[in-house]
Amino acid sequence: MPILGVHIMQLLGLNNVTTKYGDLTAIRDVSINVEEGHIISIVGSNGAGKTTLLNTISGVLPSAGGTITFAGKEISHLPPHRIVEEGIIQVPEGRLLFPDMTVLENLELGAFNRRSRKDIPALLEAVFNYFPKLQDRSDQMAGTLSGGEQQMVAIGRGLMAKPKLLMMDEPSLGLSPLVVKTVFETISKIKSDGITILLVEQNVLQSLMISDDVYVLENGSIILNGQGRELMDDPRVREAYLGI
Amino acid sequence: MGEVIIQLVINGLLLGGLYALLSIGLTLIFGVLEIVNFAHGEFLMISMYLAFLLFSFFGMDPYLSLIVILPVFFLFGYAIEKIIIKPLLNDPPLNQIFATIGLGLIFSNVALLLFKADFRTVKTPYSDVNLIFGNFFVSVPRLIAFLIAIALIAALLVYLKKTFTGKAIRALAQQRKAAMLMGIDVHRTYAIAFGIGIACVGAAGAVLLPLFFVFPTVGSLFSLIAFVIVILGGYNSLAGSLVAGLIIGLIEGFSGFFISPHLKEVVYFVLFIFILIFRPTGLFGKR
Amino acid sequence: MKAYLTTLVESAKRFRKPLIALAVVLALVIPLLPRNPFYQDLIIMIFFWATLATAWNLLGGFAGQISLGHAAFFGIGAYTSTILFLTFNLSPWIGMFAGAGLSMLVAFVVGFPTFRLTSHFFALATLAFGEVLRLLASYWRELTNGGVGLLIPHTPGFRNFIFDNKAAYAYVILVMLLAVLCVTYIFKKSRFGYSLFALREDQGAAESLGVNTHRAKMYALLISVFFTSIAGTFYAQYVAFIEPDIVFASHVSIQLALLSIIGGIGTVFGPLVGSLFLTPLDIFLRGWLGGVFSGLNFIVYGVILILAVMYFPLGIAGWIRKKIAGFEKAPALPKVTPADPAAGPDALTARRAVMGAPLMTVDSLSKRFGGLEAVKDLSFMVREGEILGLIGPNGAGKTTVFNLISGFIPADQGTIVFNGKDISSLKTPHCFCRECIGRTFQLVKPFGHMTVLENVMVGAFACTGHTEEARKESLAILQRIHLSHHAYTLASSLTIADRKRLELGRALATQPKLLLLDEVMAGLNPKETEDIIGIIRSISRDGVTIIMIEHVMKAVMSLSDRIVVINNGIKLVEGLPNDVVKDQRVIDAYLGGAYHATAGLK
Repeated sequence: MPILGVHIMQLLGLNNVTTKYGDLTAIRDVSINVEEGHIISIVGSNGAGKTTLLNTISGVLPSAGGTITFAGKEISHLPPHRIVEEGIIQVPEGRLLFPDMTVLENLELGAFNRRSRKDIPALLEAVFNYFPKLQDRSDQMAGTLSGGEQQMVAIGRGLMAKPKLLMMDEPSLGLSPLVVKTVFETISKIKSDGITILLVEQNVLQSLMISDDVYVLENGSIILNGQGRELMDDPRVREAYLGI
Repeated sequence: MGEVIIQLVINGLLLGGLYALLSIGLTLIFGVLEIVNFAHGEFLMISMYLAFLLFSFFGMDPYLSLIVILPVFFLFGYAIEKIIIKPLLNDPPLNQIFATIGLGLIFSNVALLLFKADFRTVKTPYSDVNLIFGNFFVSVPRLIAFLIAIALIAALLVYLKKTFTGKAIRALAQQRKAAMLMGIDVHRTYAIAFGIGIACVGAAGAVLLPLFFVFPTVGSLFSLIAFVIVILGGYNSLAGSLVAGLIIGLIEGFSGFFISPHLKEVVYFVLFIFILIFRPTGLFGKR
Repeated sequence: MKAYLTTLVESAKRFRKPLIALAVVLALVIPLLPRNPFYQDLIIMIFFWATLATAWNLLGGFAGQISLGHAAFFGIGAYTSTILFLTFNLSPWIGMFAGAGLSMLVAFVVGFPTFRLTSHFFALATLAFGEVLRLLASYWRELTNGGVGLLIPHTPGFRNFIFDNKAAYAYVILVMLLAVLCVTYIFKKSRFGYSLFALREDQGAAESLGVNTHRAKMYALLISVFFTSIAGTFYAQYVAFIEPDIVFASHVSIQLALLSIIGGIGTVFGPLVGSLFLTPLDIFLRGWLGGVFSGLNFIVYGVILILAVMYFPLGIAGWIRKKIAGFEKAPALPKVTPADPAAGPDALTARRAVMGAPLMTVDSLSKRFGGLEAVKDLSFMVREGEILGLIGPNGAGKTTVFNLISGFIPADQGTIVFNGKDISSLKTPHCFCRECIGRTFQLVKPFGHMTVLENVMVGAFACTGHTEEARKESLAILQRIHLSHHAYTLASSLTIADRKRLELGRALATQPKLLLLDEVMAGLNPKETEDIIGIIRSISRDGVTIIMIEHVMKAVMSLSDRIVVINNGIKLVEGLPNDVVKDQRVIDAYLGGAYHATAGLK
């Protein structure tokens, strides 16, 4: 316990985590510290290993080394459904909605875990507060929604799980500028509601601006770590993306 | 002639309902686990023998025996999934195909050892009773079989629609990774889906018994029908299986009357090839 | 111990031909040895099942198409020759070929739609087909005498294919076995065999290398059916009695698969090995226990089948081969003269000056997936000898563009002109390969169960039908892509960098005029990236035009002559690398625009 100053608790900690696909090392010795109530961004070009990192935390991919702790408990080798029970929820890249189910059913499935099931009415109300539009669409098949609406359902579905940590993978991908704006507003709002966020984004400037802490991933390793606004002028970020 | 046709429609639909129940488990299992259970017909055969034994030893009515067969077959399917299917889920199709074929071989030949090749059936008080409506008649066991089948299918659809586990099964069939990320225990849900699929075919066996004979290779006769229904219905659509089951029932009724009852399988197969050529995704398939 | 085994394996390899000759001689003598009819029958049955299983393996093992309906062709063979013999007194030797012809015709008709199905449903459809034929044979009494069956009267004579001496039957079936083994062995070493292996491993990759997968599967089916059918005639003549429930039984189809799996599926001699082990077991079980416990042999089969697929999927031959591989010395690689080191950057500059004529022109290409417009009204052109970079943020539609211009998906609208020819209407990827368009895949698709050399040879076969030529060509390519030391390694055990190289080499082996490279550097470390850049440079120097999708920007910048940037399916910018990278629209697309930079803040 710190004696002086504000105590900010570590929520998620990765310590030298390595993940392999067969003999291909996708991420190598990654250490990350996510503090409660913060937005942490992971940026890097395509193929740098960002999605792999999230899938490792979610337990979808087994880690080949290192430890992952969440709220003081080691979760490195838990199966995905146990990690959801712990309160880590991923909103996956490409939304991955259940296309032949209604919006409402998609949201309800978000609350599949035992912590959330009994609170479905209240959770639904909260999600419809974030996205009023979804209430009108609740009986529509998710596969027939527009890209922006699908992203709202995906985030809403994540929120239904009562996340302590919400991990979002490329939430602005393939959306129009106006919708991108809404998405980022939503992310800030979720943070102000006290939910910690781990964000993977290609929209670098935007995510640097709202993040408390940023990690730059290149070729499976962390090459840079700093506060969001500090990194905005860092040439290395631009280099990681544009090669200049 | 018109009356004959109406009578054929009645018979065909009654049979079709049963066929739908027969095949819906196969569709469910393929839709969720993406494997074809080649031992499907043999599960049917086992259930017919079980119903037969319950009748012979305890005088239990085949329809009543559903109370025993449904839970027993669910657990049977659940266990088979855990022991044989789960280890092969990431294997090449060859291994999955021959695992269930091996299972079918074992089942039908154990039955041959135990019961010999004799044809057996049960005689119930209502076996030969017909209801007469004007010029039409309806066979009582067929009517009961139809009603039970439709009731069970409806129950299954409601279960999948309304319960959390049911939704999890559908979610898994539609988007596996997202289902995992929602906290659905994939392996448990697979086993449950397999168990439900086997329970469905078990139920079909019990209600089929008063209408038909049971013998060790009876399964292959009905698995052919189930295969055609699954393809006609579109591989993984449960509603498709229901409609396709009714269609096949009608086709069987009509082809039996107008062509020959012995050639009904040939008619199925011709239909089957036509579907493959002109509508490979089936009537209700999306992919 | 290891040294000893290595020597053993090596000498076995050196004496492979004499060993095979010895085995053939032994097989020729064996039928004469036993006097006891039980053992004579055993030998005949071993050969008989081996013949059928080897034929099945050609389709099921080599081409990976699991047929559960081969009993149908076995039955057609048996019934055709028998009916012709009994009705028209036609010699079964001729009837045998008539039956084979009929089987092949039926196979062609049924194969056409069923080849479109995925593995599980192909197996299901063929199983259903076999069952239907069995029922048809039972009910069509006028033709087949129904369930009563057909009895062939004992009238010995060569013409009648009926012999008093069992040894004669043994020789007939031995000839059939040797024929099907020879055919299999020759195929394995030929372009056709390589096509089958390739399509079994990955149909898309095989197509991209010029393999007409549909036709290859059909040929495999027809050849397999031919041997199955003539074995059916043999069976009818040997047993002299056929009935639908025996010759059309689905058990026959399953037995063929079982023998192949136990012996080693996809190997030449696996099915024979399987028959050597299982046929005696079968006869033993039937003879000894069958009378008391009929069906017990099938229970044993079922158990063996399940255990085999769960714990021993390689089979005996596959397992031995894997064990041997550890003690095998890779054959020496022939020397290939390395590329001229003088052809450095200067040559590259010189070449750039002369390029000019458009090689491929894409005009207003569009593709929609449901609600998503993946590619919208896209037009671009690549000049002969050029390296064109195709870049854009994640999900921009780059790979869709590649799929459109290599025939993997049809465009909704737009035209593609290549080398002066409109190729928009070509339907399958192998046609695009024939036009000399080669491609790699973002997610590499190595043919895992084939060696690196064999992988490249599949590509080389696009230009030659000659195995030795393809091998030589491929070895030269391996040298170029720095993979020679792995020539005899299984592709599945390569590292990611080597897989990317292999993917490149395989496409290169088809001798393309235009090469489409989809993220060949993703996931590589800087040193590996440097290496592959050098390889791409050298390919370009040889006059191959290249379009590359790449996220490693340094590489794109240094390699490309021109760059096309796409975002959300539309062309954003086109120009020289240095101009493109400074373009504000590109920076916006990549890093999030100035507009977004101020919006959305609290």
